[in-house]
Amino acid sequence: MLLGENGAGKSTLMKVLCGAYQADAGEIHYKGQLVKISNPNDARKLGIAVIFQEFSLVPYLNIAQNIFLGREFPGKIPGTIDHQRMHKEAKHWLHLLSLNYDTHTLVHTLGVAQQQMVEIAKALSQNAQILVMDEPTAALSDRETILLFEMIRKLQSEGVAIVYISHRMAEVFSMGDRITVLRDGKQVGSADPKSATPDELVHMMVGRRVDMAYARTEKSKLGEVALKISNVFSDNGIKDISLEVKAGEIVGLAGLVGAGRTEVARAIFGADKVTSGTVEICGKLRHGEPYHSVDMGLALIPESRKTQGLALIRSVEENIVLASLNKIFPSSWIQAKKVQDIGKTMIAKLRIATPSGKRSALVLSGGNQQKIVIGKWLTTESKVFIFDEPTRGIDIGAKAEIFALIYKLVEDGAAVLMISSELSEIVNVCDRAYVMREGRIAGALEKEQLTEENILKLGMTNE
Amino acid sequence: MNNVTLKSPRVQLGILFNCIPGVALMLFVCMISFAILSPDFLSLGNLKNVGVQSTILLMISLPMTLVIMTEGIDMSIGALLTFCGVVVAYVLANTHSLPLAIFVALMTGLIIGAMNGAIIVYFSMPPFVVTLGMLGICQSLALVLTDGQSITDVGETIGLSYNGIFLGIPIPIYIGILCYFVTYTLLYHTRFGTYVNAIGGNREALKLAGVKTNFYHVAVYAFSGLMAGLASILLTARMSAGHPTAAIGMEFDAIAAVIVGGTSFEKGNGWLFGTFLGVITVGVLRNGLNLVGVPSSVQVASIGLLVLVALLLDSFKSKT
Repeated sequence: MLLGENGAGKSTLMKVLCGAYQADAGEIHYKGQLVKISNPNDARKLGIAVIFQEFSLVPYLNIAQNIFLGREFPGKIPGTIDHQRMHKEAKHWLHLLSLNYDTHTLVHTLGVAQQQMVEIAKALSQNAQILVMDEPTAALSDRETILLFEMIRKLQSEGVAIVYISHRMAEVFSMGDRITVLRDGKQVGSADPKSATPDELVHMMVGRRVDMAYARTEKSKLGEVALKISNVFSDNGIKDISLEVKAGEIVGLAGLVGAGRTEVARAIFGADKVTSGTVEICGKLRHGEPYHSVDMGLALIPESRKTQGLALIRSVEENIVLASLNKIFPSSWIQAKKVQDIGKTMIAKLRIATPSGKRSALVLSGGNQQKIVIGKWLTTESKVFIFDEPTRGIDIGAKAEIFALIYKLVEDGAAVLMISSELSEIVNVCDRAYVMREGRIAGALEKEQLTEENILKLGMTNE
Repeated sequence: MNNVTLKSPRVQLGILFNCIPGVALMLFVCMISFAILSPDFLSLGNLKNVGVQSTILLMISLPMTLVIMTEGIDMSIGALLTFCGVVVAYVLANTHSLPLAIFVALMTGLIIGAMNGAIIVYFSMPPFVVTLGMLGICQSLALVLTDGQSITDVGETIGLSYNGIFLGIPIPIYIGILCYFVTYTLLYHTRFGTYVNAIGGNREALKLAGVKTNFYHVAVYAFSGLMAGLASILLTARMSAGHPTAAIGMEFDAIAAVIVGGTSFEKGNGWLFGTFLGVITVGVLRNGLNLVGVPSSVQVASIGLLVLVALLLDSFKSKT
């Protein structure tokens, strides 16, 4: 088990292991022997396989071609590929994962979870002696996670060494034999999962004691209904959605991956077309394009901050003012000084860890990038915030800070709708929650009923 | 029977419309229209003509598909084709040796194509800019080599490759079909083809799979150049001369054919048979417009229109 905050150096370490980066100094020992890994082929020869967090799949190649990319079986004529054998072998590895995919399917037509499973099959098929996994469960549903864990235990019993990177404490404790914690590119400690406590690990990760209980203790004063959605249907597959959020309230939107939570957020925002039903923001009917929503005080902090939340290569301060250029510069002329000032204020307010506002958002860690996105919407002085998986891929230290920000928002009278796949977050953070199933609202839970079991009961399909 | 709902004819038509690739639809529409407008269009002789006229375009559109699949583009291919054609004529005029002329043309194409690729890959330059530069260079070289005049002293034998007939079918059609199958095999049945797809789809993944990405990336452009060299032999044969502006601007037709064929500029999403249909569509359009008597200056506009219609059709389809 490998633990560490975002930016602690886990992924970099992994890239050194698989030969994508080269080590400047130090030695790698493999089975007691000193080895040198200077390119991906060296790593492969040693039996090191890596499951990457960012998918290493080629969208317009089929599953079999992806699994055996770079290791195609030669056909009878030199240079050609034995497709038949490739599909047969690919099926074999998928079967080991209890998957029944058609290996001729092009990868881009698969869902995220399916792609992750193909990625896992790809790593397994390398007959690896050392398997490195970078948050393999981040995109998986519970069922697939269980399958993966079974597979891991089986590999373990076959003598495969596994390096498992995770942000999920439960996994770390249930799966790990030994825990190593990284911070700022250095190993800061290791622990035995049998005796260690989550608090100790977090302490090691962040170097300061963070209150694990990010749970909300006080309730804010409730105001008027700020967001009201009635019987909304949309092209993207959501059906008959009705919900409301009052000012000063944090309402959760739970459900399994694929239940349609993100689609609800997009429909509310106007990013996907609403075919029937109404969306009201602060008592006014929303219509038209996303920029109308922004004008009306709606903010969407999307699921994928890198592709949907940020202009990644632009600077921190440019990102912060991006959604409010109209408000700050009504004359269309942009004043660099003003941008810098606003950026500075926001960086200080949100404690964004960046040497300067001029830094590209690209180089910051996930938690800090998320803060920039939040800062962007704070600048617009929005009244209604929709957070879509605000803590995905963010370490616990930053998580607590993000939640503190959300609490501050509602304290100041904003309304928050929060989508999260982590049940504990919904239970501990939200005042009440809606649970979605297959594009519909399956039920609403008030604070008293808001438990992980109840959410799961509502969210699971009745088969 | 109860739960079988019959779909209305309109819905069925919609499904049919969605199944047929846009390019096939357009080819069909073009052929029907010209068949109505001109009685000669569907004659065997004229259809052979379309095939012969399309061969050179096919030979440069095939590698263009591969280049575009790597998220690149080869703007130089028309000028390179012209230059190689002039080289063929120049060597023929001076040595009268056809094998030597063919060899030199292939080498010229291969080397210039590889240079394109090497500059793009090893200096991380945008393909558009690099090949645009090469376009200028090749165009100029063709003019320098010929002094701006046509080289007509090319002999008789080379003409056979364009005008010859075997078993009732013109030789260029054999060459075109052979080129198609060679490229098809390369793309779908070899590592090279898989890696071409992966270069456009996810270069990082290919690198991490331990593949020498750069080599294959350069090879795509080298292949493009080689095919231009091969096509240049037909080009010179067609005109029985090396003309310094013979195929200038042909990259436009080639890129159009690839786009019309449904290959996209993103993520290695390519379709080789689509390119084949795209080439035929462009060929039919040019041939048909000639028969109907539309001046060639207007024909370019019609190809531009074809590209726009193709893109609109596809975007309309992906929405339904």
